[in-house]
Amino acid sequence: MALTRREFTVASLMGVAAMSGLTVAVKAQGTKTIAVLFDGLYSEFWVAGIQIIRDDLEKRGFQIMEAISDQDDNKQFEQVRAAIAKKVDGIIIVQTDSNAVIPAIKAANAANIPMVHFNRPPAPSDAFSVAIQADNQKIAREAVLHSCKVAKESGRKHQAAILIGDLGDPNAIQRRDGFEEAVGQFPDAVEVVARVPTEWNADTAFAGLTNALQANPDISFVFTSSDFLIPQITQALKAADKWAPIGAENHVIFTGFDGFPAAYGLMNDKLMDACGVQNLFYETELAIQAILDLQAGKTVEKLLLDPGFAITQDNLEEKKEEMWGYVLWKKENAG
Amino acid sequence: MTDSHPARTPPLLEVAGLTKSFFGVRVLHGIGYSLRAGEALGLVGENGSGKSTTMNILGGVHQPDGGAMLLDSAPYAPAGPGEAIRAGIAFIHQELNLFPNLTIEENLFIDGFPRRSRLIPLIDRAAIRRRTEDLLAQVNLDLKPGTPVARLSQGERQLVEIAKALGRSPKVIIFDEPTTSLTRREVDRLFAIIARLKARGIGIIYISHALEDVMTVCDHVTVLRDGALAGGGRRQDLSVPAIIAMMVGRSIDTVFPPRTVRPRAEEALVVEDLSQPGVAEAISFSIRAGEVLGLAGLMGSGRSELARMIFGLDRFARGRISVAGRPLENPTPITAMEAGIAFLTEDRRSEGLLMGFSVAENMVLTSLPAVAGALGLVDGRKVVDTAVSMARTVHLSTEKVSDTLVKHLSGGNQQKVVIGKWLLRQPAVFILDEPTRGIDVGAKQEVYRIINQLVERGSAVLLISSEIEELIGLSDRILTLCRGELTGGFERSPGPGPGFDREAIMTAATGVAVARTRTGTRDVA
Amino acid sequence: MTAVPPVDVERARARPTGHLRLARLVLSEYFTLVLCALYLAAVYPFVPEMLTAEVAANVLSDMMPLLVVAIGQTFVLVIAGIDLSVTAIISMAAVVGASVMTGTGGYLAGSPLAVPGAILAMLLVGLAIGAINGLSVTRLNMPSFIVTLATRMFFAGAAIWYTTFHSASSSIADLPAGFTAIAEGDVLGVPVTVLIAVAVAVAAHLTLSRSRLGRHIYAVGANPKAARISGVPVARTILITFMISGACAAITSVMYVSRMQTGSPIVGENILLDVIGAVVIGGTSLFGGKGKVLWTVFGVLFLVLLDTSMKLLGASLFAIFIIKGGVILLAAMIDTLRHRLMATR
Repeated sequence: MALTRREFTVASLMGVAAMSGLTVAVKAQGTKTIAVLFDGLYSEFWVAGIQIIRDDLEKRGFQIMEAISDQDDNKQFEQVRAAIAKKVDGIIIVQTDSNAVIPAIKAANAANIPMVHFNRPPAPSDAFSVAIQADNQKIAREAVLHSCKVAKESGRKHQAAILIGDLGDPNAIQRRDGFEEAVGQFPDAVEVVARVPTEWNADTAFAGLTNALQANPDISFVFTSSDFLIPQITQALKAADKWAPIGAENHVIFTGFDGFPAAYGLMNDKLMDACGVQNLFYETELAIQAILDLQAGKTVEKLLLDPGFAITQDNLEEKKEEMWGYVLWKKENAG
Repeated sequence: MTDSHPARTPPLLEVAGLTKSFFGVRVLHGIGYSLRAGEALGLVGENGSGKSTTMNILGGVHQPDGGAMLLDSAPYAPAGPGEAIRAGIAFIHQELNLFPNLTIEENLFIDGFPRRSRLIPLIDRAAIRRRTEDLLAQVNLDLKPGTPVARLSQGERQLVEIAKALGRSPKVIIFDEPTTSLTRREVDRLFAIIARLKARGIGIIYISHALEDVMTVCDHVTVLRDGALAGGGRRQDLSVPAIIAMMVGRSIDTVFPPRTVRPRAEEALVVEDLSQPGVAEAISFSIRAGEVLGLAGLMGSGRSELARMIFGLDRFARGRISVAGRPLENPTPITAMEAGIAFLTEDRRSEGLLMGFSVAENMVLTSLPAVAGALGLVDGRKVVDTAVSMARTVHLSTEKVSDTLVKHLSGGNQQKVVIGKWLLRQPAVFILDEPTRGIDVGAKQEVYRIINQLVERGSAVLLISSEIEELIGLSDRILTLCRGELTGGFERSPGPGPGFDREAIMTAATGVAVARTRTGTRDVA
Repeated sequence: MTAVPPVDVERARARPTGHLRLARLVLSEYFTLVLCALYLAAVYPFVPEMLTAEVAANVLSDMMPLLVVAIGQTFVLVIAGIDLSVTAIISMAAVVGASVMTGTGGYLAGSPLAVPGAILAMLLVGLAIGAINGLSVTRLNMPSFIVTLATRMFFAGAAIWYTTFHSASSSIADLPAGFTAIAEGDVLGVPVTVLIAVAVAVAAHLTLSRSRLGRHIYAVGANPKAARISGVPVARTILITFMISGACAAITSVMYVSRMQTGSPIVGENILLDVIGAVVIGGTSLFGGKGKVLWTVFGVLFLVLLDTSMKLLGASLFAIFIIKGGVILLAAMIDTLRHRLMATR
């Protein structure tokens, strides 16, 4: 019943022979290949991010090698090694874990392939790579400051709630700090009564905000550390009969972060007052430029900041073209 | 063919000259038989004699290479099982084909639930219930149609299977080993039903190894051997020994081989006051080295449970067990084995063997330390050598011990593997629970021979069997068990003759107290 | 139902000889290896890099962690159980090991015992969770699917919780160089991880095929009732297989942590289906009683080849899932076919 060793050897050799007959290798000729390795496509932010990178790279005539690690550090490491084996010209990576990515950076260093971290910086180490990051704290502060001014102009004191992200994520901490800085400047107009931890989980966020609204029925100022929670916030505010446009008696001053299409939609409908926008177009530009610069032998800073901007009801028309969410929104609502 | 009966009416089923080959190997050499409406035909033969092929041809599974079949005087050549069913051939298998998770009525109508009407695809529950009640009444089964089959006993399930067959108004019903897993009472009830079916004009084909049952049920017997007719005739003209002689091709004068040794003095196994509520009531007995102690009792009397308790498989509330003078406390199978006990279970397929494994792997399982080589690893050569020599000892049909999977062996050879596996441990006490169940005559004789060898070597044997003849033929002493209590003890009377009072044993086993003064009887304790 | 007589055994005895060679190939235990060669031939035109030394080295080192945990799983599958908790064991062992040896606040930070202490701690985590699984199955008579599903959830959560006490970020870094050398080092050109995996595989192979324990494992898997009556310590055998699976998962964890230089509480979280898939593709039965370490080696090789080619192709995540699912389904179908063939011989 068992195959003899001889038969097996013959079969294997035949396999190899078949392969060498098939050397119609479709190897990319002359064009540069960039590996784009994402952790996951959990929200529109990442979907938009990878699409903008794709579009930009294609525009420049680059080939793309794409991979998603689905929150698996080891798989991502293997993907980096595959990219190295494929001799790509650069790697744009969104890592799962800021520590676990370091062996991957070292491997890229050893192969002399530039690596750029998109939107998430790695943990400090002696390995060299460039990180692109939004200036979360500044962007959050600016957006929330606008909302605080609105609050002050209303002439009454507002009770505020903040939906905080996962505290293991430095982005979440920076956004929270930006929020606290802004509201700290307006002690007369805004009092923070609820700090809702979401752990970047939509269900947790919904339950947390619902509880906060029950405990403090007078909440009239909400900041979310990410726009991906907008559906849950909408739901919770509707249930508390607080979902009304600007000007209405029961309007809640609402500040978002990220610049999702949904955020633009709400601003357009006068349901949101301000939103901190990560400038994905600019971040992509920075990332690709960094790879080109590194290949050209130029010196590049380890951290490149996206200053981002706050989009508000005041500057909506003038700034919306720079907001990635608007660009997507426009596409969806075209015609 | 073998029928010399005066032809009152043309036979219901007439088969002549059936031949069949599989891949060039001829397995049937012109088999013929005939069956009259309202009569029962016994079909007997050893495993491999062609019984199942013959029946598979009748059931439409195989098509014959040659020969003819007439059903109701019309040519009958089913292309498939479905056609056979429609023609009125019903087959009651040894392993019943019921769904235990469904109810009786669901089982009866599984292949076609009547609808309320053509337009409404809803099952007509009322019709099913009426029909089921009617069918159950025909087999004398007083059960609600909605009872799940899982709750029924083996015998009741068989009757349900018969009811299912009756639902299709069969002309011929084939029974394949119908009594193997039934209690005596269930067997009696089955035979009554068969008599009724005969009275209704249905032809019965009855396949069984239990020749006594065949003689009870059948009007005619056809014996097959090696794919050919070996004989047969009317029941009145036949006897069990004559049938056996036809089956094995030679006459077997002594079914039970003679034994030259007498039990020794020392006690190999002593059981005292063994009790477990509802299972065993203060059971005490002992077996001497070189002695065969028979245990007679009906199904459910607690005989298997007693064996399982001694071997440490089931718990008991009270009592002491000692082997060769040493107490065996809180036995587990492992400690019981270490004490020298071996146990052949009544359910060889699900408890005795690893069916998908080779003969060698099964045989050495109980004696792995004996086949260990360097570093305590199992030595493949030793395994094979050990298994081959044991295969010879038990007269196994094959010596390809590593390549043959036990599931491909016949029942008798499988049983030899189980016995061989325990013989490797050279047990001081061997508990044999139904060692000859479902195996053919030749294999039975082998088992008897091995039992004799065991006691000649000084082992003690506790023999549990439903076949009273077997107990009488082999035992030095017989105990009867009824509802968890010992009801009698019988010593073999010296000299020629059967050695035991069959009637008395039967009476004791069915629960009637036995007078101490009776000849050949003595008190248990 | 009633009128279908049993199929004759003789029917299957001989087969037409024309298909004999193919049948023999399909039935051979090297079949999965043949599938690997076929697959390689099929994807080679699209990813010629598959046959470079670098990719071969990557395949080898990617295989090792998966192989070790899959070998542990093989033991459990052979006794007709399943161990879903292996990924949680990997995660838990990772953070416990890292917390012992990390330079920033580790229990043995800076000590020469840091690395052996951490490895010991990781193995203990594996053995302990394995023991919990095994005891729950044997003592409480629970199905292993439920038991290990529960321990999987519990320890996946516990690993994240445990990390919060030992690190400000989501993982524990700053591991000693002596530990990270496991992933990077080699002996005479052979990577240390390969040596470890080979040692585990050889030990596992000897245990399953040659030791008394191995015989007991197969017997319990094939028929626990018959095994018990044959004097096999059924409960102990089941317990040991779960502990072996736990220990193997812990060794895999050592490899991952050393490779990532980080103790992350989500490491290995997603590999469960790869582990079970690899073992089953190799030919080990989910119904117990059947399985070999060599088969698992081939199964893991097949899966890693598949994965590597997909990575090199740069296929999108969805495409990878679809293709992987398709190939696994195909392999399973071929396996079923093999069994049918085998049953008729």
